[in-house]
Amino acid sequence: MADHHVVIDNLVKTYPGAQKPSVDHVSFSLPRGEMLALLGPSGCGKTTILRMIAGLIAPTSGAIRLEGRDVSSIAVYKRNLGMVFQAYALFPHMTVAQNVSFGLEMRKVSRAEREERVRKALDLVKLTGLGDRKVNQLSGGQQQRAAIARSLVIEPELLLLDEPLSNLDAKLRDEMRDEIRDIQARTGVTAIFVTHDQDEALSMADRLAVMSAGRLEQVGTPREIFDRPQTEFVASFIGAGTFFEGRVAEPGLAVVEGLKPLRFVGEAPVGSMVKLMIRPHRLVLAGSSGLPNSFTGTVEHIVYRGQMLTLNVRCGGRLLQADLPTHAGVLPEKGSEVTLAVAPQDVTLVGQVAP
Amino acid sequence: MQSNPLLGRIAWNTLIALLYLFLLAPIIVVFIISFDTRQYLAFPPESFSFGSYVKVFQNVKFISAFWRSLVIGAIVGFVAVSAGMLLSLSLVRYQFRGKAAVGFLILAPFLVPHIVLAVGIMLVIAPLGLLDSYPGIVLAHLGITIPYTVRTITMSLMAVDTRVEEAALVHGASPRMVFWRITLPLVRPGLIAGGVIAFLISFDEATISLFIVSVKASTLPTEIYHYLEYSTDPQIAALSVILILISVAVVMMVEKLIGLRKAL
Amino acid sequence: MSAAALPAAGASSANASRGVLLMLLLPGLVALVITFLLPLIWLFRASFASSTMGAFSGGDWTVQSYSAVLFDPFYWRVAWNTLVLGFNVAIFAVILSYPIALFLVRTESRFRGVLTALAVAPLLTSSVVRTYGWMVILGDRGVINSTLQSLSLTGGVIRLTNNSFGATVALIEILMPYAILAMLSGFGRLNPQLEEAAAMLGANRVKVFTRIILPLSAPGVLTAALLVFVLAISSFVTPRLMGGGRVFVLGTEVFNEATVTLNWPLAAALSVMLLILFSSIILLYQRALRALET
Repeated sequence: MADHHVVIDNLVKTYPGAQKPSVDHVSFSLPRGEMLALLGPSGCGKTTILRMIAGLIAPTSGAIRLEGRDVSSIAVYKRNLGMVFQAYALFPHMTVAQNVSFGLEMRKVSRAEREERVRKALDLVKLTGLGDRKVNQLSGGQQQRAAIARSLVIEPELLLLDEPLSNLDAKLRDEMRDEIRDIQARTGVTAIFVTHDQDEALSMADRLAVMSAGRLEQVGTPREIFDRPQTEFVASFIGAGTFFEGRVAEPGLAVVEGLKPLRFVGEAPVGSMVKLMIRPHRLVLAGSSGLPNSFTGTVEHIVYRGQMLTLNVRCGGRLLQADLPTHAGVLPEKGSEVTLAVAPQDVTLVGQVAP
Repeated sequence: MQSNPLLGRIAWNTLIALLYLFLLAPIIVVFIISFDTRQYLAFPPESFSFGSYVKVFQNVKFISAFWRSLVIGAIVGFVAVSAGMLLSLSLVRYQFRGKAAVGFLILAPFLVPHIVLAVGIMLVIAPLGLLDSYPGIVLAHLGITIPYTVRTITMSLMAVDTRVEEAALVHGASPRMVFWRITLPLVRPGLIAGGVIAFLISFDEATISLFIVSVKASTLPTEIYHYLEYSTDPQIAALSVILILISVAVVMMVEKLIGLRKAL
Repeated sequence: MSAAALPAAGASSANASRGVLLMLLLPGLVALVITFLLPLIWLFRASFASSTMGAFSGGDWTVQSYSAVLFDPFYWRVAWNTLVLGFNVAIFAVILSYPIALFLVRTESRFRGVLTALAVAPLLTSSVVRTYGWMVILGDRGVINSTLQSLSLTGGVIRLTNNSFGATVALIEILMPYAILAMLSGFGRLNPQLEEAAAMLGANRVKVFTRIILPLSAPGVLTAALLVFVLAISSFVTPRLMGGGRVFVLGTEVFNEATVTLNWPLAAALSVMLLILFSSIILLYQRALRALET
């Protein structure tokens, strides 16, 4: 972790007059060339972290290290970071090329070199030949590209993106998502972006940092976050699932009221209360009700989703959500009785319940 | 930007405070001197008293001018709001030929210096025998106040969601009922704001009034102007404070109703 | 009013009856024609009439008022005084208003609304009252002179009123709220994110100001300067009272001809010339604005 490119170390931000810190002892790190998503609901502190890294606001305590050097006391205009703002913040009184060139001018790059680098940057974001346009003559997607070119042309040590896709319509969003990923991979720039959209985070990032109420909940690869959520917040914020509370009767076995005992994978002391979660697509139709980890109940509600059939099954007084592939042979009907089963490794331990 | 050096911030805030002080200096000074007891203008005040206020209330000329200004302002406010409401309705809800010309005519008084308008109005109403009369001064003030009432009412009217009116129609209200029960209440902030601004402009106006009125219909600002040509004693300060307080009341009202910045 | 036929839903606005529209328009238009359009036409006509005391005869057309003005060096001096006053007031009012407007646009203080109201509210206090305030401040026994004397900084009285200095200072302050208001509306393109973006790209505070804030606020500044200038050259209450009859500008002369000398054709001719000056300044301004935007 020490040799990672970006290291965020115990970062705290408490606004004057605020009761609670907006960012509460957050630490994570990122290797060179990777892309990290700061994910969480609005107000969780993710944007505050981004702005502290950028240098736009000062941390209350903690360190931001780039290549092992603490930059938290360096003025924003000396940090050499690139940032794509949510509404792009393109300078309205300049052309596209002048916008892109601005950072180079500040670095006193010679005119000839500036022109060359601006041209290359515009090529990179597929805005070739649009340099003379006024900013307001660009479409939303083009403005986004111009903003990316402007922040990359200075060859920043780190690229920051604040909700990069939120100002685009659905179709453009998919296109720009691939595009940003592609540009980042080609330039090899280390990048951090902020989003509240889990699909965006899962599909774009090498690494996710999930936040809630100023605290970091979990850092990991998209797969780890989705399949092995470590907290109840992460489990419920990302993807759907059914939650159970149970008492651990023996290692890897929990007794849940109204159901058969559940086998799960994970460490929890015997006798403690635990919270377990099952993803809907991990449940399968079972032939007999005698299997371990099986649930028998009545289908209360069915939604047909093309490839999937979403069932709500009333079982032992609670509702279980299951997604079944529609090619799975005979499909249950509303009101019928079904038995569902789940493998122990797909019952995820997401936390302990305080007694 | 957090990299603000503290010193720069203090210097900046001090500069702003000083500029505000300059901007508000005459009002502050008038307030202080209104409690002076001497017969002539001097600073700082020697003692504190309400003598000047008492003198103002005993000055028949000022008191009658005050009432005249009040009446003239009220009539101007009412007429300007009524005309403004009708004009706004036609501009916001209708498409017609010459709409741009009407819109320009309404805004044009903003673009012509008051003193030029004043000479023109004087020339128009003099042959009608309306110089130094109530109708004359009311007419003179209408041209410069209607643009303001149209502005505030148009703003309120444009903010009204026409679907609300459609909903009322669908639920059985006649167009007449929709106007009185839905549209009018919804634009009431704009109506009141426009009305009080028109009142205040008329109440405070000096330039045009000085060309139109002399004795019979003299307003408070014209009386003060003529008084100041010869004397500057603290009586005027007391009178000014009263005028300022009326302005403050109007400012607060407009700010609360639609926001001062949008109205001006 | 015939409320029954009002276009309540806006749905049928296209085929709304002409009669209703006419009734909506008529009162306001009549008022504006009588109090605005007609006076301007009359003014123009009167400026070409031969002078008679306190009236003008509609019969003849003559340029005698204009020639009286154009061939009299006094009026040339008056015109020059007016322009100088206008330029001085415009320049200083803009310089002093710019920081306030910038502050109001950028501040995150929760008193922003109050501070904005405080900056533009003087607009709604009578200019006669504020002129009086400046007489108190700048007068021979006013705030400044008595302060200087009590500190024994000066021997005698410094004359700050009854001259064009006093008129200029008072007009600067009286017209500042207009400048602030014009700047606030003209600063729409200023946006803290743009400053942040520039800083991220390596611009220090000076560069952010010269490259981002200044160019983006230039149109607002220009509008403010124009507004103050035209209001200053057409003012007469403040120059008259602060000048104590010793400051001669177009406004005071128009008032003098109209109400004292009662030479109405001359007053009209002076007004028309003021209007021409006014219009040419506005045309110049539009040129400048267009130049700024390209």
